[in-house]
Amino acid sequence: MLVGIPLEAKRTEASKPKECAKEMSAYLQTVAEDRCKMSFSKVFGYFAPRLRSYALKQIGNEALAMELVQDTMSNVWQKAHLFNAEKGSPSTWIFTIARNIRFDMLRKQQNRKEDICSDDLWPVLCEHTADANEVSLDEQITLEQVGGLFDELPEKQRVVLEGIYIEGKSQQEIADELSIPLGTVKSRTRLALNRLKEMLKDHD
Amino acid sequence: MINFHPTQEQLVDFVEGNCSAALALVVSAHIDMCPKCQKQTSILQASIGNQALSIDSVTDGADLNVNFGSMIAEITSLPAAEQISVSKREAPTIELDGRKFTLPRALGRYVENTGSWSHLLGNLWQAPVDMGEIGKANFIYMQKGGRVPEHTHRGNEMTLVIDGEFSDGVSDYDTGDFILMNENHVHAPHSEVNEGCLVFSIVDAPLHFTSGIARLLNPFSHLFFK
Repeated sequence: MLVGIPLEAKRTEASKPKECAKEMSAYLQTVAEDRCKMSFSKVFGYFAPRLRSYALKQIGNEALAMELVQDTMSNVWQKAHLFNAEKGSPSTWIFTIARNIRFDMLRKQQNRKEDICSDDLWPVLCEHTADANEVSLDEQITLEQVGGLFDELPEKQRVVLEGIYIEGKSQQEIADELSIPLGTVKSRTRLALNRLKEMLKDHD
Repeated sequence: MINFHPTQEQLVDFVEGNCSAALALVVSAHIDMCPKCQKQTSILQASIGNQALSIDSVTDGADLNVNFGSMIAEITSLPAAEQISVSKREAPTIELDGRKFTLPRALGRYVENTGSWSHLLGNLWQAPVDMGEIGKANFIYMQKGGRVPEHTHRGNEMTLVIDGEFSDGVSDYDTGDFILMNENHVHAPHSEVNEGCLVFSIVDAPLHFTSGIARLLNPFSHLFFK
């Protein structure tokens, strides 16, 4: 607590947001016109800790928060000439830059993630998602064509696929109905879908 | 006329940087096309931005005394960015059958990631856009009479009307409209206007067809509407 008091006092003393906007605008202008490093360090000194604090709360990771600060402040240095005090305050401008960089980082992060097997989305095709992509997207398949191919499937496989995709039954329900093991339903489904895929490939 | 906008909550999430990258892209493309949301967003940016970076935003005084090491020196060694006037930059476009469509600025960076058009069932054309893992995106063009079979969604489908009009049995949409569909919506998009309709769409999960024989397509829908 003893340590907290002087910090509190220091902060209240420095709190003059409106004058600060004017002051920061002026510094940004000097950066734009003269590439003034001294002015930039004033802007940096004010905004970098605040950006870091905000980013840390949002991202929860020190390294990424620092990366965001560095990228944002680099943009401020390199694009100071794009700042227009008539359109908004320095806070708004810098916050918007940081937000855009945040989305860029989010995109990159997502691209680093390993491919997740879409088990929930495609319970049946899941094991085949890799080669499913090899089927040419240029194929012009009509509903009728798929329907026609369907009839070419072996009877046992067709019954299982019809149950799942037309009647909307679960694999367990079909297993119970046909009095066959669940594993058999699964393997018939897999075989049938593979076969359909092959037929679609050969169709053209 | 634009009738469908992101909700206030979605705009706030976007401004704060708290929504998914996919939603951020579609919202920001909509903002490019919609003066009303442009205005709203700049108001939100000013209030949220000023608040976030104000003196009081730092609750722990010690936070202000972080050592940024050589960061300033590294930054100031960078050259200034070339001064490009924003107005001079040409609006991004894509082409289908000799017809040129102007895209909102936010989609410009993805033009070069857009594959070639392929013709699908029902007078539909589709060009896939490689977005990495943020979602599966496509430009979809519905010719007059073009129709997507009735379907629902396993995840979110975000759509922006780039040019033209379409209906989906629920509502009529016009150029610039922002549409977010999820597993609670069933619809069958189709266009009846002469010029057809171009939309940009991201789905974070394959569509699920609900009616009749189209259900046969379900195991393949990830091939069509990735």
